[in-house]
Amino acid sequence: MTASTTPIDRSPLRARVSVRVLVLVGLLWTLIPLAWMALSSFKSDTDVTSPEPRVFFDPTLDNYAKLFSGANNLGPYILHSVFAAGISSVLAVVLGALAGYGLAGTRFRGKKHVAFWIISTRMAPIAVVVLPLFLLFRGAGLIDSIPGLVLAYLTFNLPFAIWLMSAFFAEIPPSVEESALVAGCTRWQAFRHVVLPLTKAGLVTTFVLCLVFSWNDYAFALVFSGPDSQTLPIAADQLVTQTGIDWGQLTAIGTIVVLPMIVAGLAVRRWLVTGLTLGAVTGE
Amino acid sequence: MRKLGFHGRMMTPGMLLLAALSFIPLFTVIAMSFSRVRLLGGVSFEWVGLEYWIRFFTDLDLGVQWLRTLAFFVLTVGLEMGLGLIFALCLWKLARGRNTVLSLFLLPMFVAPVIVGLLGRFLTDSTFGLYAWVFKLLGYEEDILGSGTSAFIAVVAMDVWQWTPLIALITLAGLTSMPQSVREAAALDGASGWQNLRHIILPSISSVLLVALLIRSMDAIRYFDIISVTTNGGPADATKVVPIRLYETAFRFFDLGYAAVIGLVMLVVSIIIARTFVRLLDKKGLAR
Repeated sequence: MTASTTPIDRSPLRARVSVRVLVLVGLLWTLIPLAWMALSSFKSDTDVTSPEPRVFFDPTLDNYAKLFSGANNLGPYILHSVFAAGISSVLAVVLGALAGYGLAGTRFRGKKHVAFWIISTRMAPIAVVVLPLFLLFRGAGLIDSIPGLVLAYLTFNLPFAIWLMSAFFAEIPPSVEESALVAGCTRWQAFRHVVLPLTKAGLVTTFVLCLVFSWNDYAFALVFSGPDSQTLPIAADQLVTQTGIDWGQLTAIGTIVVLPMIVAGLAVRRWLVTGLTLGAVTGE
Repeated sequence: MRKLGFHGRMMTPGMLLLAALSFIPLFTVIAMSFSRVRLLGGVSFEWVGLEYWIRFFTDLDLGVQWLRTLAFFVLTVGLEMGLGLIFALCLWKLARGRNTVLSLFLLPMFVAPVIVGLLGRFLTDSTFGLYAWVFKLLGYEEDILGSGTSAFIAVVAMDVWQWTPLIALITLAGLTSMPQSVREAAALDGASGWQNLRHIILPSISSVLLVALLIRSMDAIRYFDIISVTTNGGPADATKVVPIRLYETAFRFFDLGYAAVIGLVMLVVSIIIARTFVRLLDKKGLAR
């Protein structure tokens, strides 16, 4: 579009410059903390705690090496995180896809109320869920166990997955399924081989977002996990409560926690709006 | 089972599990709120009637903590909506590099809140924190997380840092999916930019903004991780919001019955907020 066709040119250059300045400020505000964290994770102790910020320094892998050796070996924590978040997300996607398909495909009286109930379990304050689960898990022996964490994460992942998958299924025209049925498929075959593959993007997005939520969880893990199930966010926090904070190691652990989720999150960026608004806004 | 039909059968496993995961805890927390809960030698409940509920209505500290939660809520959500809108408009005007900039801008959303808090502590540490150093250059020497007002502002800023991108993302989606005619009207340079925004752009993305507001509101009321690892409610209770109080009551003092009362009230408040928004969205024909 050429601006010259507009009769009164209201200094588009100035507007363009100010947009760019604002974008630049926004990016600095966003990226400096993360860049500083990643940078600090490669610094030696004296460089990390220097009163004058050091941008140029001799990079070292000491902080990472320390995280994987000795008493506070991070290995088990990573495994706990991978298993608890991974299993919970897989279960959420599988059950969410089935239920989401059912929810999108039927009409029944009170469906609105059911839908509100599903969403309200996702939005319930975490502490309200943690409190009774703590008692129930204590009774059932699920404290300090991976299955306990998986169940706890399902309290927020499952309603999210059901709702989101139903938004993705609702996008598929009914005629697709109907023609599969006419061609002789059973209902299950039509679902499994025709409808489900069409929501591949939805499945991946749902999985990734569930993974991010549970990988990043702190409140549940704080209450339910113990020596045999502690996850990465808890490991990071514990680095602080020990006598004196090793900020070098802390920035390294932070980088390890953050990096995979950033990669996964950006991979599904196209569907993020649908995902994070539970399909209420369909943009782009 | 036959009567349910295929769709019903598909829904059954997920819905049953969700029902178990939501109703059992709900009934448990209601029972807890009328009982003294003992943890020694297995979990046991001792009925105490309305004791904890009466205490709830006479607890002045908790009243203050609710007000603080409200202040926190208004500040974070307000700033996030404002800044998110501004940034979305900027990105919308940005012809080249929009996708790259957006990707970079989204990064904080994927950072674990506990890491946001710890990173915040690192950046504001009074001896070597990067931001503390910048503030010192500007003449501010205090320990940022050490005094009430600045600690409150700091935890607000951390939440704003993390979630402004979400608002920008949702708003940008609304802007880019505006109908062509609206976009043309908004592109006309005759009216001032402000009038464009006020009378053309904002009305046409109002429902999108409402969804963004709902999502942030539901999260802001349960905001816990960042405060827990930065100030844990301090200094001198300056950042003690209701979720922090609830955790403390439950898992430090093991006053589980009273914690259940606080939790139930939080639940009711969040349901009222969600209901209000859903009704507003219904009016706009957006709710599903």
